Amino acid sequence: MQNNIIILGGGQAAIYAAREIRKNDTESNIKILGEESLLPYERPPLSKDFLLDKKNEEDLFFYSSDVLINENIDFDNVSINKVDFENKKLFTKNESVYSYDILLISTGSENKKLSLDDNLNNDVYYLRNLKEAKIIKEIVSNKNQITIIGGGFIGLEIASSLSQLQKKVTVIEIGNQLMGRIIPKQIADLVQNTHIENGNEIILNKQIDKIIKKNDIYEILLNDNSLIETDFVIAGIGSTPSVKLFENTNLKLDNGIVTNQFCETSIKDVYAAGDVSNFYHPLYEKNMRLESYQHAQNHGICAGKNISGVKTEYTSIPWMWSDQFNLNLQLTGICDDYDEIIERGNDINNGVIYFFLKNKKIRGACGLGIVGKVGRDIRITSKLIEKNTIVDKQILSDQNQKLNKLILKL
Amino acid sequence: MAEENWIEVGSTDSIEEEDLIRFDHQDKTFCVYRLTDGFYATDGICTHEAVHLEDGLVMDDEIECPMHQGIFNIKSGEALSPPACEDLKTYPVKVDNDKIFIKID
Repeated sequence: MQNNIIILGGGQAAIYAAREIRKNDTESNIKILGEESLLPYERPPLSKDFLLDKKNEEDLFFYSSDVLINENIDFDNVSINKVDFENKKLFTKNESVYSYDILLISTGSENKKLSLDDNLNNDVYYLRNLKEAKIIKEIVSNKNQITIIGGGFIGLEIASSLSQLQKKVTVIEIGNQLMGRIIPKQIADLVQNTHIENGNEIILNKQIDKIIKKNDIYEILLNDNSLIETDFVIAGIGSTPSVKLFENTNLKLDNGIVTNQFCETSIKDVYAAGDVSNFYHPLYEKNMRLESYQHAQNHGICAGKNISGVKTEYTSIPWMWSDQFNLNLQLTGICDDYDEIIERGNDINNGVIYFFLKNKKIRGACGLGIVGKVGRDIRITSKLIEKNTIVDKQILSDQNQKLNKLILKL
Repeated sequence: MAEENWIEVGSTDSIEEEDLIRFDHQDKTFCVYRLTDGFYATDGICTHEAVHLEDGLVMDDEIECPMHQGIFNIKSGEALSPPACEDLKTYPVKVDNDKIFIKID
């Protein structure tokens, strides 16, 4: 059967969904509607290798236009501003209409913005897309003292890159630890030490009271009355799902678009995947929303399967990474619901991992080490979480014993 | 083929089954694997970002990069899972008198 399948949003989940649909369905029309003029590209390098000039724009695309042409996947650069779910139509600003039989929403997420005086709104920079990365890259080349508001993944990755470009960097974080939303404090403290050792200043537990612009200098006043002078301000204070378009519709929203384990939303023939989706995870028996590379890819693929008739539960174990200085941080599962913590290793040169267990089963793990030192064990841990099995804690805590042993026992 | 292209890596018992070792020769790094049906060799650095695959996970016929979980088929070098999209170069391997040799071009 030939369907008109529209994928709203032109990021990673969209391209993986499109290719998966085409794998199973050679008949239907597949069209991606993207707000950026670029084909889907990788975002992780924007805060790292792109700023450091180790990767260029052309290195970032997931697939070339040839791949889309060969697979008969259309890509339109448009902005949709109205959705009519009842009549299955999408409208652009100038009332162009796209009709669909099946819709996948993969609109992603957008940056939270600081509340600032109107005259400062253009003075604080955010990094989510290639355009913003290019602007930041160009401006920082002429700046020395840079302040980053927000000590999450994006802020710290930028801080690491700018430090490597010999900039003086200050990071201001409102919480009592870095990356506090998902990373355990034990690991966050090790990351913080590395930033400090590399010359970055980390300020915790402080809020911004006011930013004052004085010629080319900004004065940032904190809530303890301390003052930071800086040439350039970047903020990375989290993101929210991009759902404005659906706020006055019947689509069920709750921290994103609510979906079941098959990527189905509350409306028939409407699916959602990636950052925008608050999906049900069968293993954790709860809904969650993730913003990660692996999730965008795998959730897109899962949506693609379900859209093309291959009924598939989404059971992927959450996994994400961050690269800062010469360290690779990885997290698998979820680390905020546990009754026991087990530590493996105590030296980041060999890798340090904290396992979070509940009822003797691993629920999540977070590791940090010199590049390459925690990946294998984190990957094995993902498999152990997936198997939902009771593990030998003695092997977990002893770095001299390979974790492979635990998999072989399954 | 010139005999000198075969470079000795080590003894067969230096690699556990479903595991690998890193082998450096001149200015290049290789990975040599022991799978259930024999020995294989690939370049030692991931094609996605410059990280040694020696710390990666070997599962069945696949090596997974420890940094970003790109996956390659060990026998063909094919990049199977993003972020890896460029194939890994593979090299012929032979075993002679319990010693492993790889042929470097």
